[in-house]
Amino acid sequence: MRSLRYFVNNTDRILGYAGEHAVLILMAVVMAVLVWVSVGILIRNNRRMARGVLGIASLIMSVPSVALYGILVTIPGLGLSRQSAVLALVLYAMLPIIRNVYVALNGVDAAIMENARGMGMSARRILFRVQLPLATPVILAGVRVSVVMMVGIATLAVFIGERNLGVLIQQGLVRTRSDMIIVGAVLVSAFAIGIDYLFSKLEHLLVSPGIRGEAA
Amino acid sequence: MIRFKNVTKRYPGMVRSAVDGLSLEVNQGETCVFVGPSGCGKTTTLKMVNRIFEPTSGEILVNGENILSQDQDTLRQGIGYVIQKTGLFPHYTVFENVATVPRLLGWDHQRINSRVHELLRLVGLDPDENAHKYPRELSGGQSQRVGVARALAADPPVMLMDEPFGAVDPITRTQLQNEFLTLQQKVRKTICFVTHDIDEAIKMGNRIAIMNNGRLVQYDTPEKLLLAPADDFVAEFIGSDRSLKVLSLLPVPKVLKRQFRVVKETAELETVRASFDATERNRLVIEDENSNVVGYVTRGDAGKASSARGWNRFIKPFPTTLPPEATLRDALAVMLQHDVGAIPVMEHTRKFLGMVYLDDIRSYVGEAYQESEPEPAGEGAPS
Repeated sequence: MRSLRYFVNNTDRILGYAGEHAVLILMAVVMAVLVWVSVGILIRNNRRMARGVLGIASLIMSVPSVALYGILVTIPGLGLSRQSAVLALVLYAMLPIIRNVYVALNGVDAAIMENARGMGMSARRILFRVQLPLATPVILAGVRVSVVMMVGIATLAVFIGERNLGVLIQQGLVRTRSDMIIVGAVLVSAFAIGIDYLFSKLEHLLVSPGIRGEAA
Repeated sequence: MIRFKNVTKRYPGMVRSAVDGLSLEVNQGETCVFVGPSGCGKTTTLKMVNRIFEPTSGEILVNGENILSQDQDTLRQGIGYVIQKTGLFPHYTVFENVATVPRLLGWDHQRINSRVHELLRLVGLDPDENAHKYPRELSGGQSQRVGVARALAADPPVMLMDEPFGAVDPITRTQLQNEFLTLQQKVRKTICFVTHDIDEAIKMGNRIAIMNNGRLVQYDTPEKLLLAPADDFVAEFIGSDRSLKVLSLLPVPKVLKRQFRVVKETAELETVRASFDATERNRLVIEDENSNVVGYVTRGDAGKASSARGWNRFIKPFPTTLPPEATLRDALAVMLQHDVGAIPVMEHTRKFLGMVYLDDIRSYVGEAYQESEPEPAGEGAPS
């Protein structure tokens, strides 16, 4: 009840935080998809390079998020800025996105690939007309996992100056105000669930009906 | 049309060549079936034609042109390709699958549309019902049909088929084989066909290339292969029932007795008796006014008849007949089934063509084997 009252009394401020949260994640998602899908495509035929890139991605993933923010703000040019926050989120998305792109592109049925080549499709055409469309469900799954993760990790960006939903949690902890913590936690969860739902709609739009509902 | 000149393929790290010094020629409009045990090099041979694999040495000419001197993609667009698992694009509809190569060639929409519809009808699929389905909505047989339609899309003169009917049930396979033979009568492609099933090879091929350990063991017509296997390997591979298999390749007219007395059912008894006097045979074929066969009379029955037309009641119908396109195998099967030693062959109009006798089949096949028997070498040289 107290949480609800807190929410009603501070609606404007809370919606402002939510907006900041959304903007930060949107920037990070767009960048992460552009960069990591491209990297995944580039390394698709090079097993050694793939192993190296995925190793680095795993390493980054294992750095605690507060520590990563801490490291990024020490880099000249980044500092306590939105760039640092976006960059941290982009780095966390590296593993799930690249790994799914790599696995999905290489997982296309050998018979389909051979037929595509046998009919005289160029490597480029096979990539864009066959491999990527068939890999889309798995790639989307990777993006989806990383975005949901970003929503949570973004709350910690309050320590480097972001003013998003994480403020409610951080302030709640500092002031032992459980109503603030609950409002923050519930909104962050709702945010993640909403994004998950958006992705299921997106999948329906981007994936051919011929393969819909097959891959995870 | 397709010519292999001393083609060898060695995969890196392998001791033995996958294909070793292969030379053969596939004539225009013919189906050449490559057959042999697994690892004999038949699939490698096929896939060198469209450069999925490149030969280590030797030349492959398609239409007189070395395939290695052509642009890889252009070459492939001119060669139809059908593989066992069909390799249909699951995210494309049937229409889009069949339209793949025409789209690569930049045909306009109208032309692609009419071509796809034409092809689907050609392989026995209703375009209105199937064009917008996705591959996962098709049965195994339908997928293979779409695979064949897709390979034929740009009307390539050459087709490569790698166990195209290997992944479907036996009934569908037989159906697809028969449909494909009919289709090939119409389109007359030059086809390289790979299978491990000798029966399929005999059925589909104008010529059969038997391979073992990367080498060509024998390249011959199915008849020659069955009658005169080049060595023990071939003989064993085609099976101990090869004399039965050859029966299905020999058409009934080869042993047909055409000189046969035929009497009209309206004839007088005298004519019937005169006909029996003029022949050694014990049966006389009887036909009606329109030259349609109605049955036969035996010599004994003709003797029993007394009045001029009363012999008619002794006319017995034939228990069964054969069409002229039947094979000796069909003839033999019918003979065993009806326990008869002779069967009349008639056109569909019931016009009489002649009789097939069990003895004739036996002696014909026997002679065929003797003729094809290789001369005993070495021994018995004139001294």
